[in-house]
Amino acid sequence: MSQFDVLFQPLNINKLTIRNRIVSTAHAEVYATDGGMTTDRYVKYYEEKAKGGCGLCICGGSSVVSIDSPQSWWSSVNLSTDRIIPHFQNLADAVHKHGGKIMIQISHMGRRSRWDGENWPNLMSPSGIREPVHRATCKTIEVEEIWRVIGDFVQAARRAKEGGLDGVELSAVHQHMIDQFWSPRVNKRTDEWGGTFEGRMKFGLEVAKAVREEVGPDFVVGMRITGDEFHPDGLNHDDMKQIAKYYDETGLIDYFGVVGSGCDTHNTLANVIPNMSYPPEPFLHLAAGIKEVVSVPVIHAQNIKDPNQAKRIVEAGYVDFVGMTRAHIADPHLIAKIKNDQVDQIRQCVGANYCIDRQYQGLDVLCIQNAATSREYMGLPHIIEKTEGPIRSVVVVGGGPGGMEAARVAAERGHKVTLLERNEELGGQITIAAKAPQRDQIAGITRWLVMELDRLGVEVRTGVTADAQMIRDLKPDVCVMATGGRPYMDQNPAWGAEEGLVVSSWDILNGKVEPGKNVLIYDTICEFSGLSAADYLSSKGSLVEIVTDDIKPGVGIGGTTFPTYYRSLYEKEVVMTSDFLLEKVYREGDNLVAVLENEYTGQHEERVVDQVVIENGIRPNEELYYELKEESRNKGQLDVEAMFDIKPQPILSESGDGMILWRLGDCVSQRNTHAAMYDALRLCKDL
Amino acid sequence: MVIDWLPSVLIVVLLALGVIGALRRVSLWRAGQPEKVNLIAGLLAMPGRYLKDLHHVVERDKYMSRTHVATGGGFVLSMVLVLVVHVFDVNEQIVAWALLGALLIMLTGAFFVFKRRLNPPARLSKGPWMRLPKTLMIYALTFIVLTLPAAGILPEGAGGVVLTAVLSVGVVIGLGELLFGMGWGGPMKHAFAGALHLAFHRRPERFGGGRSTGLKPVNLEGDVLGVAKPSDFKWNQLLGFDACVQCGKCQAMCPAFAAGQPLNPKKLIQDMVVGLAGGTDANYAGSPYPGKEVGNAKGGPDEIITAGLVSQETLWSCTTCRACVEECPMMIEHVDAIVDMRRFLTMEKGETPNKGSEVLENIIATDNPNGYAPSSRTNWAADQNLAVMKEKQEADVLFWVSDGAFDMRSQRILRAFVKLMKHANVDVAILGDEERDSGDVARRLGDDATFQSLAKRNLATLGQYKFKKIVTTDPHAYHCLRNEYGDFDTDGALAGVEVLHHTTFLNQLVQSGALKLDAFKGGKVTYHDPCYLGRYNGEYEAPRELLRSLGIEVAEMERSGFRSRCCGGGGGAPITDIPGERRIADMRMEDASETGAELVAVGCQQCTAMLEGVVEPRPEVKDISEILVDQLVEEVH
Repeated sequence: MSQFDVLFQPLNINKLTIRNRIVSTAHAEVYATDGGMTTDRYVKYYEEKAKGGCGLCICGGSSVVSIDSPQSWWSSVNLSTDRIIPHFQNLADAVHKHGGKIMIQISHMGRRSRWDGENWPNLMSPSGIREPVHRATCKTIEVEEIWRVIGDFVQAARRAKEGGLDGVELSAVHQHMIDQFWSPRVNKRTDEWGGTFEGRMKFGLEVAKAVREEVGPDFVVGMRITGDEFHPDGLNHDDMKQIAKYYDETGLIDYFGVVGSGCDTHNTLANVIPNMSYPPEPFLHLAAGIKEVVSVPVIHAQNIKDPNQAKRIVEAGYVDFVGMTRAHIADPHLIAKIKNDQVDQIRQCVGANYCIDRQYQGLDVLCIQNAATSREYMGLPHIIEKTEGPIRSVVVVGGGPGGMEAARVAAERGHKVTLLERNEELGGQITIAAKAPQRDQIAGITRWLVMELDRLGVEVRTGVTADAQMIRDLKPDVCVMATGGRPYMDQNPAWGAEEGLVVSSWDILNGKVEPGKNVLIYDTICEFSGLSAADYLSSKGSLVEIVTDDIKPGVGIGGTTFPTYYRSLYEKEVVMTSDFLLEKVYREGDNLVAVLENEYTGQHEERVVDQVVIENGIRPNEELYYELKEESRNKGQLDVEAMFDIKPQPILSESGDGMILWRLGDCVSQRNTHAAMYDALRLCKDL
Repeated sequence: MVIDWLPSVLIVVLLALGVIGALRRVSLWRAGQPEKVNLIAGLLAMPGRYLKDLHHVVERDKYMSRTHVATGGGFVLSMVLVLVVHVFDVNEQIVAWALLGALLIMLTGAFFVFKRRLNPPARLSKGPWMRLPKTLMIYALTFIVLTLPAAGILPEGAGGVVLTAVLSVGVVIGLGELLFGMGWGGPMKHAFAGALHLAFHRRPERFGGGRSTGLKPVNLEGDVLGVAKPSDFKWNQLLGFDACVQCGKCQAMCPAFAAGQPLNPKKLIQDMVVGLAGGTDANYAGSPYPGKEVGNAKGGPDEIITAGLVSQETLWSCTTCRACVEECPMMIEHVDAIVDMRRFLTMEKGETPNKGSEVLENIIATDNPNGYAPSSRTNWAADQNLAVMKEKQEADVLFWVSDGAFDMRSQRILRAFVKLMKHANVDVAILGDEERDSGDVARRLGDDATFQSLAKRNLATLGQYKFKKIVTTDPHAYHCLRNEYGDFDTDGALAGVEVLHHTTFLNQLVQSGALKLDAFKGGKVTYHDPCYLGRYNGEYEAPRELLRSLGIEVAEMERSGFRSRCCGGGGGAPITDIPGERRIADMRMEDASETGAELVAVGCQQCTAMLEGVVEPRPEVKDISEILVDQLVEEVH
C-alpha cells in the first residue's frame, strides 16, 4: 500500500503500456555527436532513467528530420539519415531492458535555428519572419519545400520505428515549423498553407497523415503543443484548444504533450522551463484545458518536481502523465526511491536551470547538484557502493556544496567521516544565494545533503573553525579541504575596502549590513550574485544602480533565468549600466562618491550614493591548506590524469603514513557549485 | 489375617471406580459433534503412534523423555502385573520379580519427576501436578512392599495388620491417583485421554512423520457455523483437550503470550476442559492469560464459550503460527480450536474485531484484503513482460503472485523473483487480473464461507489452464493452494500439479546450475523461518541451502527451524490487533539482533512487512529472492 499508488497505474498510449505515470519529456541533451548520432553517453543517460523506473522517456528534444534544420548547434539527434537506425537500436534495447519505453521527438525547426554554420542553409519559415531569440533570418518556404519536409518527417518516423523506438513525438511547440504554420503571428500566407484556420493547420495535418501512413496504426505518434503562446498576436488558450481538438478528431495523434507558453522571445522562453522563481506547475491549467477537449492521454511537464505534487496532479485528473524531466536529471532514481519508500532520499530538482541554461549555450546538459547525471558512461555512479577496501577516517573541512558532497560520498563508501564547518549551519555560499528574492529554493541542494549526511551518520560539527592542530588531532587518513573563499574586495585599493567604504554582496544578502537608501552595486562577475544583490536591495526599498564593466549585468546568466531577474529588476526601477569600471570610491560628507570610467572612451562619471556594494567574485581560503600541505603524504597534489579519467587516485592504493590532503571547490579557485560537487564525487567515489 | 484381602479388594474397587469415571468421561466427549474415525485401526495404531510420534516430540527434552519412559512404562507394566499378582493371585515368583522390576523402574522415573518438581519451570502447572510424582512414588513403594512376599523376599504376612493397613492406605493413595484420578479428571487423565487421542486423532496424517496443517472446512449448510459451545467441537477434539498434561511447552513457545497479549494456549485448552466438563477455572494452577485473573471463567458443554469461559480477545490474539501445536507432546490442535471458535464469532455473530470486518468486506467486494481495484492487480507487472495465462493457456510454471501485487514493498520481492526466473529461462505465466486472494486471511479470521468461495473461484480459473507447477513467493497462499484447496478441488484443477514456495523452486534452479550467483559480500546473515513455510509445510532447508550457495553461513537464531518465532503477521493478527505489552515483531527482531546479523533473510512478504515495521536501528530485512538477485551473474550486453 502506498500513498503514491496512483502514479503506478499503468496506462496505454495507443497500444503501448507505460508502466507508470511519470515521463521524462523531450529535451535537447546536447550529447549526440558525429553528425547527430546518439552516443554511448546518450544511451547510458537514458538507461539510467529506465533503470530508475521512469515510465516513458521521450528523448531527443528538437531532433531534426531534414538537413536544412541544423542539428550541430545543440548536438541534437539527426534523423535525416539511415545511419541513425543502429544507434536507435542500442538506445531502445538499453531502455527496454529495464522495462521502460522510449520515443523521440522529431521536428523541423524552421526559423528557430541558426544558419551561420554546418551546411549554411537558408532557414525556412511560413512567411520568412525573423526569429529574435536566435537572431535568425529566414526565407519564405516554397510549396515544393513543404512537401519535401513532409517527406523528411515520414523518413524520420520510419527510422525511429526501424530503430526499435516506441514512438515519435511531432514537435509543434517552441515555435518549430509545425506551429510556425499554426501561429498567425508568424504565418502570413494567403495560399492553402495559411490564412484560414484549416490553411494554418494543413502543414501539421499533412505531416501527421503521412507519418501515420508510414508507421501504421499501432506505432505511437504523439504531438507536443503549446497551451498558450502568451503573445497578443499569437495563439491563445482557446485557439490551442481548437487546434488540439481538430487534430484529435483526425484520430492520427496518440497523445498530446502540453507546454505552457510560446518561446520565440527571451521573456516567453523563460516560461517554458520555469526556474525556481515560479510556483509549482504554473501552467497545469493550460494542459488541463487541452485534456478537456481531446480523447487521448495528455502529458504535462513544467515545474513538477515532487512525488506528492505529481500524485496530486494525476489523482485530480488534470492530466494523465506528469513530466518530471529536470526532476530526473537531478535524480534518475526518483521513481525507484518512491517505490522503495525512500522519498526523503530523492535529490530534488531546485530549478536552478543549470541544465537548460547550458543547453541554450550549446553545452552538454548537466545537473548543478548531481555530477553523475549524463556522466554514467564515464563510470560516475548514482548509487554509490560500499568500499571493499580499508575503512578510512575522513575529515572534510568546510560545509559548502563541495565539502558536503565529499562527506556524503565518503560516507556512502562506508568511511568514518567528520565534517567541520565554521558557520552555525551548513551550505556555504548556497546559504547566501538563497537569501535573495526568488532564489530561496536553491537551498534545496543543502537540504538534501544535510539529510543524507544525517542518514549516513556523518559527524557534522558546525560552529567550529578548524585549525591545523585540530585536524592533526583527528588523525585523518584523508583530509578534504573545501574551505571556499571570501569576497574579493581589495583587488583595487582605491575602492576603499580597507577604509570600510564598500561592502560585499555577501554581507548585503546575509543581512549583516543594512541596505542603503541609494546604492550602487559594482558587479564584475555578471552572474547570479550581482543581480541577486540588486534584487534583494531593491526589494528592501533601496534605489539601486548596478554597474558592470562587462556587456550587460547578468550577461553570464543563462537564457531561462536572466529574464526572471529582469522582470523583477525593471519593475523595481533598478538601473542597469554596462561598460563602466569602478575606478574609486571616496567619502564626501555623509555620502559616498563612486567614480566610474567608461571602458571604451575613458570618460568619467560620478555617482553620489550612500552605499557601494562590490561583487568581484572571491579569493580562495587557502591558508589552512598551505599549513597542512607539507606534512601531507601527497603534498596536497591530485593526480589530475586519474581524476579526469574518473579513476581512483593512485595514492589510495599505496601504503604510507600520514594523511592524504585534497583540496576542492572555491578554495582552489572560484568556479561554481557543479564544479565543486563534480570534483567531490569523482575524488571520493573511489575512496 | 483379617485384612489380608483388603489391598486386593481396594485394587478392584479403585479399578472399577476408574472405569466408571472413564465411561463418564467418554460420555462428556460424546457430547461433541460426530466425526468419522476408524476406531479399530486407530486403537491398533495407537501404541506405534505413542512410541514413535509422541515420543519423538517428548524426546526434544531428553530428561523428560527418560523419566516418562520409566514412569509411564513402569506403571503400565506394573499395573498389568499388579492385577496378575494381587488380584488374580498368580503365584509365580518370576512374575512377582517382574512386577518388582517394573515398580523399581517406575519409582526411579517418578523420583526424577519429583526432583524436577522441586524447582519447576514457570511453564508447568502447579496444583495437583505437584502431588503427582509423590503419589506415583507412594504407589510404587506400596506395591513393592506388597509384592515382596510374592517374590519370596519377605515371608507371607510379615508386618502384620499394621503394615497391611498402611499399605492399604498406600494402595488407596497410589491407585486413587492412578486409576480413580485417571477416570475422574485427575492429572493421570492425560494417560487415558492421551492414549485415546492418539488412537482417534482428527489428523491421523500427522503420524508416521506426516504433516497435516490445512484447516478443516466448515459445512456451510450446518446449523451452527463454527464452534459456539464446547459441544459444537467434534468429539475427538474434546478428547484431545482432555489429553493436555499442562506441561506449558505451548505457552513457552506462544508469541502472543510472550508479547503479553491475553492468550496462553495451555490455559485455553484447560478452559476447553472446563467447558466440556462444566465448572470454573478456579482450580487451574498454571500461568493465566496475560493481564487476566484466573477464577472468573466458567462454562459448560452447552454454554456459549465466549460468554464467560474465554474472552474474544484471547481468540483473536492467536497468529496461527502453530508453534504450540508443533511443541505439544500430546498432539493437541490448538489452532483448529481457535479458528473453529473464530468462525462462530465471524460468521454467526459478525464480531470480527478492529479492522477485521472491514478487511473481510474488502475481500468479499474486491477479492483482496485492502480493497484495491481488482483491475489494478497486475499494475506492478506492467514492465515485466510476463506472459498471462489467459493468452498463453499453457506454461511449465504458474507464478501465483498473491496480494503482494498491491504492495510496493512486496513488489520488490516479486520483481526480484521474476528477474531470477527470466535469467533461468523458466517458462512462466501469471493469472494476471484473473487471480484472486487465496483466502488465507478470510479463513484465519474465521470467514470460511468467503474462503471457500475464493478457493472455488480460483480453482475454476486454474482449471482452465495447463501447467506443471505453481510457484509463489507467499507462504500463506502456498499453504492454501497446497494444503487447503484440495478439499474443494472436485474437478482436479490441481491434480498432478506441484505447488512450490519460491525458495524451493529457486533452490532447484540454483542447484541445477540454471542460475549463476556470485558470493555474498555483506555482513552476517540470519534467517527467519516463516511459520507458513516452516511449520505449516516443513520447508526449512531450501532457504538455507540457497543462502549457503551464496557462501552465507547462516547465523541461526535461538528460535529457528520448527521452533522459529512468529513475526506476528499471521492469522489476521495485525488486522484484529489485540493489544499486548509488546509487539511480537519487536521480539522477533531482538532474536535476530542477538545473532549479530546485519541482514535478516526472509521468505515471506508478510514477515518482511512485519519485521521492517520494527523501528531502526535494526538489521536490514530482505526476501531471499532479493538477496539472490543482487548476486546474480548477469551477462554483459
